[in-house]
Amino acid sequence: MGLLAWVMMGLAIWHFTIFLPDRFWGGIVGAFVGSLVGAIVIGLIIYSVKVSALKIPGENETDVAIVLYAIPGALIGMGLVYLEGMRRERANAHVLEEAD
Amino acid sequence: MTDRRRNFLVLLLVAGLIAASFAVIAAKKTRLGLDLKGGVELVYQAKPTAQAKVDAESLNRAIDIMRSRVDKLGVAQPEIQRSGADEIDVALPEVHEAARAEQEVGKTAQLFFYDWEPNVIGANGKPSPKETTATGGANAGAAQFGLPEYQAVLRAQKRAPILRKNDTTWSKGCTAQQVNNCIYGSWFLLDPKHEKVIRGPEETEKSLYADLKPKEVPKGVKLKAVRVNPGTVLVRARAIENEKGKVTQKEPNSWFVLNDNPVLTGADVKNPRQSFDEGAGGTGAPNVTFEFSSHGKSVFQQVTKEIAHRGQETQLPGVPKEAALQHFAVVLDEGLITTPSIDYTRYPEGIDANTGSQISGGFTITSAQELASELQSGALPVKLELISNSQVSATLGKTALNQGLIAGLVGFGIVCLFLLLFYRVLGAIAIGGLVIYGIYFFALIKLIPITLTLPGIAGLILTIGVAADANIVIFERVKEEIRGGRSVISGIATGYKRGFAAIVDANVVTFMTAFILFALATAEVKGFALTLGIGTLVSLFTAVLATQAALGSMSRSKFVTHPAALGAGAKKRGWTFDFMGASKWFFSLSGTILLIGALAIGGKGLNFGIDFKSGTRIQTAFVQHVSEGEIEKVMASTGYANAKVQKFNNKSIGGNGYQISTKTLQPTKVQKIKQALDQKFAEGSTPGTKNFSSTSIGPTFGKTVANSAIIAIIASLLVISAYIALRFEWKYAIPVLIALMHDLLITAGVYSLTGREVTTSTVAALLTILGYSLYDTIIVFDRVRENVPRMPRAAFSQIVNRSMSEVLTRSLATSFCTLLPVLALLGFGGETLKDFAFALMVGVASGAYSSIFIASPVLTHWKERESGYRNRRARIVRELGAVPAYATAAGGEPVDVEPVKRKRSVSIFGASSPGEEQISRGEFQDLVRDLDVDQGAGNGGRAERRSAGASVAQKERKARRAEPERQAEPEQQPKRDPAADLTPEDLVLKDDKSAPKRKRNRKHGRR
Repeated sequence: MGLLAWVMMGLAIWHFTIFLPDRFWGGIVGAFVGSLVGAIVIGLIIYSVKVSALKIPGENETDVAIVLYAIPGALIGMGLVYLEGMRRERANAHVLEEAD
Repeated sequence: MTDRRRNFLVLLLVAGLIAASFAVIAAKKTRLGLDLKGGVELVYQAKPTAQAKVDAESLNRAIDIMRSRVDKLGVAQPEIQRSGADEIDVALPEVHEAARAEQEVGKTAQLFFYDWEPNVIGANGKPSPKETTATGGANAGAAQFGLPEYQAVLRAQKRAPILRKNDTTWSKGCTAQQVNNCIYGSWFLLDPKHEKVIRGPEETEKSLYADLKPKEVPKGVKLKAVRVNPGTVLVRARAIENEKGKVTQKEPNSWFVLNDNPVLTGADVKNPRQSFDEGAGGTGAPNVTFEFSSHGKSVFQQVTKEIAHRGQETQLPGVPKEAALQHFAVVLDEGLITTPSIDYTRYPEGIDANTGSQISGGFTITSAQELASELQSGALPVKLELISNSQVSATLGKTALNQGLIAGLVGFGIVCLFLLLFYRVLGAIAIGGLVIYGIYFFALIKLIPITLTLPGIAGLILTIGVAADANIVIFERVKEEIRGGRSVISGIATGYKRGFAAIVDANVVTFMTAFILFALATAEVKGFALTLGIGTLVSLFTAVLATQAALGSMSRSKFVTHPAALGAGAKKRGWTFDFMGASKWFFSLSGTILLIGALAIGGKGLNFGIDFKSGTRIQTAFVQHVSEGEIEKVMASTGYANAKVQKFNNKSIGGNGYQISTKTLQPTKVQKIKQALDQKFAEGSTPGTKNFSSTSIGPTFGKTVANSAIIAIIASLLVISAYIALRFEWKYAIPVLIALMHDLLITAGVYSLTGREVTTSTVAALLTILGYSLYDTIIVFDRVRENVPRMPRAAFSQIVNRSMSEVLTRSLATSFCTLLPVLALLGFGGETLKDFAFALMVGVASGAYSSIFIASPVLTHWKERESGYRNRRARIVRELGAVPAYATAAGGEPVDVEPVKRKRSVSIFGASSPGEEQISRGEFQDLVRDLDVDQGAGNGGRAERRSAGASVAQKERKARRAEPERQAEPEQQPKRDPAADLTPEDLVLKDDKSAPKRKRNRKHGRR
């Protein structure tokens, strides 16, 4: 249940990337992957630290606070994809400049 | 073959099939499922025994044996089938006692014969034939001589393994280290503090803890798992009888530890039957007589001879003979049935097995008949655990059937009305197609035969919408072609031709989803999947072939020659909305809904039904007014004080209905509850309950349902992605996946917010949403794919905007048309159908929305990163300052989104005069195609479009042969709209040598 909530939260946050300039590595789909993976991984890490065991919260353990664990993950995931996109853009620009 | 002849043949085939369908409908009976006619359904999970693994062979043998048992019950049209890898589903229509059915059908009946005294283990952990306190002496196997189960386990677990061929707890070759499906002894879970056995015997240690609930474990107790090695078994003492021979305690907590060395098994027994002990000195009590197989005869005589000799040797002078008699033990399913003694004075050389033998003691006529029946059918090769059982009253079934039929008729009616209003003559033809579809489908249901269940009816009603959708897609295309200037005849032909690919794509996906559902889902959902799959195929035939032939045949009739009759008059106003520009707001809307949904899941969770959580649900009406408190008291008196009792207002069950939820109960216990309620609330001689139905789901079944749902969803997503990647290109598959995920999660969020129960029907509905959501997306993407080569200079967002504007009406129409029968289900269906319809309604609405506002924008954003489209966008921005929503002409007016309606005057032979024979745009296009015109190297010199309305066909041909992107635009065409389509003037005849021929872009252009 926790996983479902994290995926939902990741997907929800991803929808708002439409307002950002498309500089994500892999574009909007890259942002989608970053958001979902980030939400799940960071959610899992936070929860595992909390319960001192690597596990996904089940139906009874999932509450609103646990759903919110996905937010930093989604943001970090998308942030990383965005930074990588910028880095690649700069690298390409550099290559083009050299070619000119 | 001419079109006319082809249409005639198709119509002849349709008529022939209708005649055949009527014959089938008249001749064959409809098979109704348990939910529609009442009965008992039992789902068993097979578990391996020492003698057999769970595989196809053992399951099929178990099914054969169960079928023979069911036949003895006299059940009409039973259905016993495999479900999944290790489950057997038994449906017994019109059977009202689940408990009796369960006892008869699923009993494993593992029968073993032991030489008693030499095999009983004494206090020293060794066989102690002379220790009467261990064997029971003359009272062999009696409860007063056995040990409590806990003590018996402790005694047994001390014994070293003895591996024999006939061990009942050892699979040949298994070692103590192997786990799972490798049987090496038996396991018990002990509570040392209270000296109790919590669980066991189980084949593996893991099984001991499977589904162990916290409340099963006493507080402060550390449980201990122990293994009893192969070669040693525990058997329960004989039932305790009173002086009159009546059983007072069937299963006493008194156990004997035995050397597991059976001499005969149930397989050695032949012709068992219930009889009476009427021989010399017989008591007249019911017993079971039987014969032995040839192997059994020799073994039986040999063993009884040894027992007789041993008795003779044991006999002491002055001691009564009875004290020295030795015994033979009959053990059925770990319980001692009887321990007959062998009288060495009567049978000094053993009992001649040619005359057969008998098992007597403690039987009633019914129990003797049951044992005889079990022995007659043979022991099941595998152990069967009842993981789910349900019982539906016949009245309830009949009501559900009526509700389903009403919902179907209403759904059909409103779909017909919609088609007629929206498409006029075309709608009437579509209705004809739907009627034919209904006839074929009903005939197929009877012919195959398909057992019609409630979910099956839901599938059928949904396919009405799907069948109508196919017509809508084609009719919209036909209208478009006619509005584009084609003649009615040509418009119909081209509309069907062009719409066909989209229909096939959409239907293939629906069919694949149905197939996956059928392969993976539980029996209940299989009915839905089967009807959905077959319905999709049949609808493809009726909606495409039959209606095309009908329309083709009528194309010269006055009913269809006027475009207005087809609803293809002048288009009042096209969609000019900037879909891609507004997508950020729609994205925000979806994001917000998902956010709320995620928080709802965290706060409220999902209300999983017993299908997933396990438990027993009883739904019943009462003949008199009762209160929740009164029912709770009855439940407490039967030992279920924690039962949850709720008022259940459902007209199908009748007034004064209640729903009682408890932990999972076996059918016998449900029966006890029914009896208690019947007695307590009886009105005179009328039992207290009516329309009593129950469903019990074990934890294993719940897990199976959940796992199969997850696997089905993942498999569907993979197959759908692969199909889209193959039919379109892989970049089209990702937005589709995202849109599907969006739909599923939004549906989950809505379920959480509304608190509706999630059942197996919901899962089936979710999977259907997967297929259906794609229907819309494919319609949109198909048009995008078609427009890509037609607009070689436009930005991708412009192509998508134009595609959306072209297909939005049909997309809305198909969604609305599917929603109509779904709404009928929601309004008129019973509880099950309403559950189903709710999920479908949310999913279909979300699917239509996501196709337009999620999948397409994602595709746009992704495709616009491609260098070709990036260059186009850059160029348009450079030249126009911004990218318009739609590809525009130099003056800023939209380009060819809607052909200009004007009197056609184009002729390839020059200007036509009123008296001359005129040709339509489509016909003109065909002529251009025949001339095989090719594109020129450049487009310069003819910047201005001379005739937007008459240029569609030429542009299409031209565009298909054009490069998707030109990197360098000639400087001398400043007024030329960089995003506009090609014009007919750009066409250069093939013999223009300056025009190099280009290869057709097969990736995008299909036509």
